[in-house]
Formats: sequence, structure tokens, C-alpha cells
Amino acid sequence: MKIFKDGLGEGSTFAGYHPAVNLIFFLFAVGITMFSMSPAFLAVTLVFSWVYSLMLSGRKAIKINLLFTVPVIIIMALINTLFNHNGATVLFYLAGNRITLEAFISGVVGALLLSSVIIWFGCFNVIMSSDKLIYIFGKAAPVLGLTLSMVFRFIPLLKSRFKEINLGQRCMGRHVEGGRIAKLRQAVKEVSILISWSLEAAIETSDSMEARGYGLPGRTSFHLFRMKPEDWKALAVIGVTGLIGAAGCIMGRTSILFYPKIVPMQWDAVMIVIFIAYCLLLSIPIIIDIAGERKWQQ
Amino acid sequence: MAAIEVKNLSFTYPTAERKALDDMSFAVEQSEFVVLCGKSGCGKSTLLRHLKKNLIPYGEVSGKVFYCGQDVTEIDDRINAAQIGFVQQNPDNQLVTDKVWHELAFGLESLGLDNQSIKRRVAEMASFFDIQTWFRKDVSELSGGQKQLLNLASVMVMQPKVLILDEPTSQLDPIAATEFLKTVYRINRELGTTVIISEHRLEELFTMADKVMVMDKGRIIACDEPWNIGRYLGGSDEESRHPMFYGMPAVMKIYSACRAAGVPGYMRKDREFSPLTIREGRLWLEQIAENHNIPEVDSSALNARAASDKIRQKPTKNDTDNEIINIKNLWFRYNKDSGDVLRGLNISVRRGELFCLLGGNGVGKSTTLKAISGNVTAQRGSITVDGLKVKKDNFKELFKNRLAMLPQNPQALFTEITVEEELMEALYFSNFSDEEKAERIEEMLDRMEISHLSKSHPYDLSGGEQQRLALGKILLLEPKILLLDEPTKGLDPFFKITLAGVLKKLTEEGVTIFMVSHDVEFCAEYADRCAMFFDGDIVSVGSPKEFFAGNNFYTTSANRIARKWLPEAVTWEEVAAWAEQVTMTDN
Repeated sequence: MKIFKDGLGEGSTFAGYHPAVNLIFFLFAVGITMFSMSPAFLAVTLVFSWVYSLMLSGRKAIKINLLFTVPVIIIMALINTLFNHNGATVLFYLAGNRITLEAFISGVVGALLLSSVIIWFGCFNVIMSSDKLIYIFGKAAPVLGLTLSMVFRFIPLLKSRFKEINLGQRCMGRHVEGGRIAKLRQAVKEVSILISWSLEAAIETSDSMEARGYGLPGRTSFHLFRMKPEDWKALAVIGVTGLIGAAGCIMGRTSILFYPKIVPMQWDAVMIVIFIAYCLLLSIPIIIDIAGERKWQQ
Repeated sequence: MAAIEVKNLSFTYPTAERKALDDMSFAVEQSEFVVLCGKSGCGKSTLLRHLKKNLIPYGEVSGKVFYCGQDVTEIDDRINAAQIGFVQQNPDNQLVTDKVWHELAFGLESLGLDNQSIKRRVAEMASFFDIQTWFRKDVSELSGGQKQLLNLASVMVMQPKVLILDEPTSQLDPIAATEFLKTVYRINRELGTTVIISEHRLEELFTMADKVMVMDKGRIIACDEPWNIGRYLGGSDEESRHPMFYGMPAVMKIYSACRAAGVPGYMRKDREFSPLTIREGRLWLEQIAENHNIPEVDSSALNARAASDKIRQKPTKNDTDNEIINIKNLWFRYNKDSGDVLRGLNISVRRGELFCLLGGNGVGKSTTLKAISGNVTAQRGSITVDGLKVKKDNFKELFKNRLAMLPQNPQALFTEITVEEELMEALYFSNFSDEEKAERIEEMLDRMEISHLSKSHPYDLSGGEQQRLALGKILLLEPKILLLDEPTKGLDPFFKITLAGVLKKLTEEGVTIFMVSHDVEFCAEYADRCAMFFDGDIVSVGSPKEFFAGNNFYTTSANRIARKWLPEAVTWEEVAAWAEQVTMTDN
């Protein structure tokens, strides 16, 4: 499919939803995933996280996801197998220690859990643009939102300043001296120029803030977001499915016991409801984005 | 009631010996447009800062400032924030947030308005300033002119009654500056906001102002309608002119010099009328020309080809011997998919000349500088500097007593805590003995006329002084070729004259200066040769006389005024001398 090629990025329809909807979705998705130690639930969350990650970032997501998750899986599975000696089924003895099947499986499952959380965070990163984060933090406390906004302002500013400093130093012939110490010394010098320049400039920034009434009591936090009908609908579906999933988590139905022997899941009616609700929850952004793409194609 | 009233205001900075403001009294009426001018360091900023409560500098104050009859220091904080708007010099440093819309809302957030009201006011302001197309952009993506407009808009969104601007266009290029000033003018005319603006770029402001105040050493030396200002500053001859005279618009300089010399004035409806605009200046010369039967010169046919022909001329033997920078067929683009920035650029700069590269924004002037200094590598073509090809292997030799560049912001070079140490830092890698170093620094301080500041912190210096310190630092490296990127940016007219003097001395000593600039007036007056850069290549090159005579739009004010009769005149002195001579010979 075309959307998997380059990814939707910030043009994703779900990203266009209200930040509260985005945030609540990720809280549920990641939250339930973190407390689900069962292969069935983890398989679902892993598949959906991969699919959504590919939809958002396209082909380049494969490399990044593997790069971040494969080492985690290997290390976690290894550590758990080697250092956790619980479990009834002994595979073999290593230097006098029991290596059990249960420990191995629980290690792999835990690793899958962690890796899908990582991938969900990757999606979170694409969906939650800087102004959404600022909005959310601003809701908590206006000062937090502003601080974050200033941080996002200063990063490109400092970068461009550093470039100019670097250029200036080069044109004084300061980069031709070879040797690691000379290079390090030069880098320290450039950073120190950057700091004093920026501190000096910050005085003007603070003047400009104060001139526009910063520090008056009762500061508000402006945003451009508005809850639209579709936001409410999505929020309702996410709320219902998420709450069912969370309830399942609290009841302990989304995890299984590994020690001493693995206990398979009990597929009764409650379990099936929880499972379906969970699948539905995780598929919401995918469904929204596919529907959104369809609209464009027509 | 006056919008702002200043009564016997005096102010002294904590460690200063003399008063920064000395018993100032004046009033600014409602909806008035007041221009404040004067040398850097004459107290303009100090005065403006006294008009806004939270910006008043720390020091010893006497006298009072009133805003609508209320003592400024006692106004309610909310009224102070909302009703007195303040825009500063540097576009970048005033921006607080990351998005344009957030910056616009910043002041209203401080006032505690709810989301809906902020949205409405921001929408209104964005439409008034025509910034809705970049409303959702990151502020880092904006040009300098856009940034400064945004600063203005985010002050205006609070609906101030008084707008104070402290050299708002000094960091902008001429076109962005004109646009900015026009917006300020529109605010004054359409919204009735009182405007007090300090500025060096007076050409446009004089036509907008209701009143011009000239300051010198903390005192007001003239405060009148713009056309009368020439009389206060002009004096009767060159000696009696006030230094501020040189900062006035070219028309006024010509007029007031001519009037002092006895040239008849500009008559409109049988009354003498001081010209303020280029149009009025032209009409005045028209009267003179008619009275003395001066023929018109068809400048377009005569000169248009002169400068552009020069590029195609084969260099003579003498030229090639003297050549120090040679750029041949240079092609450059930043990455594979972007367009070409340099398209087959050819430049030849001679030893010991001041070469000015002029041109609009984003045409590739700065890229050319980066290419010469080896900071970008061209895809095709070659650059030779003093017989040495610009390439990586040669950098060590290239930057050793050969090539140096002064960055646009002098701060980019400052590392030390005193001016002296700053200069010492430049010699860090040289093999001189300590005495020799000290001697060189002493000499450089003298040369840059900053000896009295040797113990000051570089950041405590004014813009023009910082510029000269940075230049001094670069010159201690003893380069044969000096590259300058917009050296006149933010300088007042006097510092420009000082800088020109420094540059002149350098070229006399054999240093070649290659400078990139927007400053037409400066280049016309001081350059040895000017070149026009457009679309990645040079389109015309020549001495300032040839160069500007061939231009119709991109030329100095003096040239625009007199080009009908005297196309080769580019400076106001030349025009004034011509007008005097024309009228004198007749009598």
C-alpha cells in the first residue's frame, strides 16, 4: 500500500484530532500494554504498534524499530533465562544453575512487552507535535507550557548561532590546527561563546516578556485546539474500550502466571470481551487514518 | 491631554560620571508620530526606556514622566503592559515562543484573557498585518523582516495607546525596513496610536513624522516639524554643522547646504518650502534647471551599457597582475535537489581595493563569501585567492596572514571579559613575544579608536564599538584580504564614517576588502568598485560613478534626485556642489 511507503507523518488524520484524544489513546494503549504479561495480548499490541508505526513513518520505520527493539529482546530474554531460576521445566544446567523453559518464555514475553511499548512511543512522538505537548503541559500549569514552548524556540536559535560562531572561528583560521586536544579546546571555546552570547541575548528576551505583561497574576494558556464532534466520538470509543481493557488489567485477566508452570489463558466470555475491546482500542487510530486516506483518494 | 509628558527628567547610570539624560522636558500629543534621532550613546534608548514602567533602567532619576497625566512609575501593571507597547532592536531576541500564533497570543495570555477572546484579537491582528499565511509557522523559519513585524504585531495585539520603538529596523535590510516603517505609519494613521520611534534610517521617517526630536549628550537640541530640522543642524558652513547633520536624509542635506551657500529655495505657491521627499527635491532642482537653462541628460541611453559592458571586457595585462581574488565560472547549490545559488559566477578583485557586492536578499551574496572562505565547496569552477586555490589542503596557508572574514554579528567572536584580552586572544597562536603582542594590541586599540574602552567588557560596548573590536581582532591576524558581511548593519551614520575611515586606511596599506552589503549609500560613497549580484551572477560592475549612473532604481537618493541633469553624481555633496556651481556661475 502507498501509505506504507513514505508514511503519513504529521499529515495523519488521527494527528489532526484533539490532543486530549491523542493523549488518552496513548495512555490506554501503553498503560494496558505495560501491565499485560500474556502472549495473546502482547501479540496484538505488537502487531498493531508495528502496523501503526509503519503507517506513520513508512519504510524507514522498519530499520529504526528493529534497531531499537531487537537488542532489547535479545538482552532481556538472555538475562531472564540466565538469572531467573524459577520454573518447573528444566532445560539444562549451566554452571550448576537451572535454566528453565518458564524463565526463557517469560523473558521473551517481557521483552516483547518492552519492545511494543518502545514502538508505541515512536508513534506517540509523531502524533504529539510540539504544540500539542505545549497545550497539554499548559493545561497542567501555564508556566510549564510556556517553558516548553521556549525550549522549542531556543533549540533552532542556538543551532543557528552556533553555526555562525563556527563560521566565524573558521574564518579566523582556527580549525586548521590538527590534533585532538586542539580540536577539543576549540569546541569548548565555541560553546563558551555560544553561552555568553545567548545569556546576553536572554536579557532582551526577558525585557520583551516583561514588557508584554509576563508575571501578572492569572496567566492563561492560549491554544488553537477545539473539540470537534469527531473528537467526542473517538473519545467515547477510546474511553469505553480503554476502560474495559483497564478493568481487565486490574482484574489480572491480561496476564498469565509463568511460575512454576505456565498457566494458559482461560477463554471465557469476560476474557473474550476484554480481548475484543483491547483489539478495538488499538485499531482506532489505524481505522481513522485509513478512512482519512480513503477520503483523499476519492 | 498629552499622551506622554516628560518633565525635567535627568538620569545617571550607577557608575557613570555624566548624566545620560540631562533635564529633559517635552510632551507627545495623542496620535502624534515622533521621531527621535541622535548619535549612538546619546541617550535615546535610555529615554525611551523611561517611558515604560518595567523597563526603566537602574540609576539615579530625578524628574517625572507622565502617561495620560499619570506618573509612569505608579501606573497599574496591567495598564502598563497593555497600553504602552515597546519594540526593541533585535528581531530574534524579542521572540519568546516557538510558533507565530503563540507569540501573537503571548501578551494576551499574560493579561489572563480567555481562549475565545485571544483568538478573536489574534485573528484581527493577523489580518491587519497580513501574516495569516505564516500564522502556523515556526518562528525560526521567518526572515528577519517577518520576525520584526511579528514583534510589532504581538505588541499591537494588546491594543496599546502608545507605541515605543527603539531602533526597530537597524537589523533589517532596506526593503524589509521600508515595509516595517510603512506598517508603523499605518498603525499611526489608521488606528490613531501614538508613535515614538528612535532610528538612524531617517530617509523615510522624515516624511512620516509629525515631529522630529534630535538628541545630543542627553539633551534635546532640536524638536520641531521635520522640514525645520535642517535649519537647526545645518549651520552656515561646514564647520558649524552639527554632527547629526550627516544623519539626515540626502534631500535635506543638499537643500540645507545649498541654502546656506545662497542657492534659491524651493518655491511652492510663492512660498518657500523645504523639500522632504525625493520628488520634492527633484522639483526644486527642476526649478533651478529651468531658471538656468540646464539641459537634461538622457542617462538611460548614455550609461546603461557602461557598467554592464565591463563584465564582458577582456582583462588587461595590468588587471591580471593586480588581481587578488579570482572567481571563475563558479556553480554551487546546497544540495542535489535545490536550485543553483551561484550560476557561473565570475568575479575579479584587484589588490588594495574596496570591492562592494550589492544585491537583494537571498541572491547568494553570503554564499559567495562562504565559498571564498572555503566554508562551502562549489560543484564547478575555481576560486583563487592571492595565487592560492581555495581547497581543503590549502586552508592552513589560506588563513595564515592571507584571508580573514568578519561575521555579521560581532558577538560570534567574543570570548574574553575585557576588550584588551579579547584582542590578545586573536594572537594566541602567533609566535610573538609578550611585549610584542602588547604593543600590537595597543596599536590596534588606537587604530580602532577604542583605547578608552580597553578595560570594558565586550558586551558593554555599543553596536558600533563591538563592530570595531571584532574588526580589530580580525586585523591582528594580519590578513591581506578581508571579507566583510554587512559591516554597516545597525551602525549609526557617524560610526559608518569612522568605519569608512578605518577601511580606507586599510586599503591604502594594501589590504584588499571584499564586502557584501545592502547599504547603497555607504557603497556609493566609499567603495572603489561596486558590483550588482543577481540570480547567482554579477550583472554589472564598475566604479560607484559608472555603476550607479547606469542604475535607475538601485541607486542612492542623491542620484535619484539629480540624475536627470547629472547622472554621474552619487553623493549628496556632489549634487550640492553642482547646484551651487550652476546658480553661482550665472550670477
